[in-house]
Amino acid sequence: MAIIPVPKPSPRAMNPDRPVNALLLAQVEHLQHAERRLPLKYRSEIYTHAIRTEGEAARYIREVTEAIHQAHDDAEADRAKRAQSRKLNPNPMTKRKDARNATEKKSRKYK
Amino acid sequence: MSAGLNQLKHIVVLMMENRSFDHMLGSLTAVDPRIDGVNAQFSNPDTTGASIKSQPSADFQGQLDPDPDHHFPAVDLQIFGGDPARVATMQGFIKSYFNQRRDVAHSQKIMYYFTQANLPVLTTLALEFAVFNRWFASIPGPTICNRAFAHYGTSFGRVDMNPFDVIEPFKSIYTRLINNAPQHTAKVYYYDTTSSTMEVVNLLQNQPQLFGTYQQFQQDCASGNLPDYSFVEPNYNDHETDSGEEIASDQHPDHDVQAGEQLIAEVYMRIKSNPQLWASTALLVLYDEHGGIFDHVPPPACTPDQFHAPANSTGTGMEFDFDRLGVRVPAILISPWIPKNTVENRVFDHASIPATVAKFFSCDDFATSPREKAADVFIEPNGAAVDPTRNLLSLDVMRTDCPEFSM
Repeated sequence: MAIIPVPKPSPRAMNPDRPVNALLLAQVEHLQHAERRLPLKYRSEIYTHAIRTEGEAARYIREVTEAIHQAHDDAEADRAKRAQSRKLNPNPMTKRKDARNATEKKSRKYK
Repeated sequence: MSAGLNQLKHIVVLMMENRSFDHMLGSLTAVDPRIDGVNAQFSNPDTTGASIKSQPSADFQGQLDPDPDHHFPAVDLQIFGGDPARVATMQGFIKSYFNQRRDVAHSQKIMYYFTQANLPVLTTLALEFAVFNRWFASIPGPTICNRAFAHYGTSFGRVDMNPFDVIEPFKSIYTRLINNAPQHTAKVYYYDTTSSTMEVVNLLQNQPQLFGTYQQFQQDCASGNLPDYSFVEPNYNDHETDSGEEIASDQHPDHDVQAGEQLIAEVYMRIKSNPQLWASTALLVLYDEHGGIFDHVPPPACTPDQFHAPANSTGTGMEFDFDRLGVRVPAILISPWIPKNTVENRVFDHASIPATVAKFFSCDDFATSPREKAADVFIEPNGAAVDPTRNLLSLDVMRTDCPEFSM
């Protein structure tokens, strides 16, 4: 079985200050599109029109990607909390209806 | 059913960025004439009229700056050379690159290709497993719409980089797998949250639970928890993390090509290091489009999609019915059940990815685009009577001589 050595890239290959390419700009635009649908508290404060370098684009990409995940995680947690509360307190609507009927009966009685 | 197909449980796709077949694998014709790469006759005219030949002078970085244009009108020029008769001659690559810097000497670099020695990972995999001589991008255009074909089997009429909407009844291959009865598992592994995905607007925004990181991919390989179908995205940008520097590994010009070689080797070795996973996985390594770089094979006509790009969105003044494929890209299918040095000549494009995955995992009850319906499959459907002339995983006994990479 042949074992093939894989050369490492040059240490100079890494350059977060490289001007941002069209692909990354499109990715930023797509994330901005998604970000506009997020509740305000999840939105980034980065001004995307000022992004010039790959490193700057990377910062925005990370913030919005994590915010999208966080917003979904929070919604899921909220959903689970509501389901748990329904389990502990089954049919709260019936209880409220019973209470309302009792009040109505009381008011009729005092008419 | 062959032994290899019987064992197959996982399909993994690693989609890299923006390199043509001739640029990456063209040198292999000298090693195996069945591989349709470059020869000494291939040339393009430059803007002075001089004939410039393909040459093995490609460098890992710094040569293709600015990023060669690969939007729809530029690719149209690359394929048709500006010929009013619109014969696909592949003679417009230098003309197209010249338009960006107006530097004759620089524009000729679009004809450069890598030597075999420069790309030990990709060329070894091509010679050891199945290399596709005719895998084309789905559209003669840029990244986003081409990647859409890998996820949905269509780009819903888009030939550009703008956000697009999924149009019912078509669904992503991930949704089809997850909603299928019996249910399957699927995941998109992006490199990390700083690199993220190129399918933000529909998948990440609405189904973030589909996504994992490359670190999770590594763990899933080691623990044997890889989903039925995995789509792996490279690192799209240079960035710092808490653990150090992460270099872009997508090979998009002007990112370093060796960093991409490392990623390809790493994905391969992760799968190979788990013997059960290695025996039950097929890995497809391919590129989303050619990135404006020379290839000599004219893209063929294909079945039109039901969507249509109007003249004002193509930028060429002409409508496009998705009836021609994009430029040829490198594609290699890897499995220990594939005979060494397989060369496949059938025509494929990225719509073949959802077509293959859906058919292999029997997700038959979902609507598919005309392009996906017409796309050939690179793995024969599960449970069907297998035509031995089409089955790439054809060995009766698993290979034990597959190469390993040391990093």
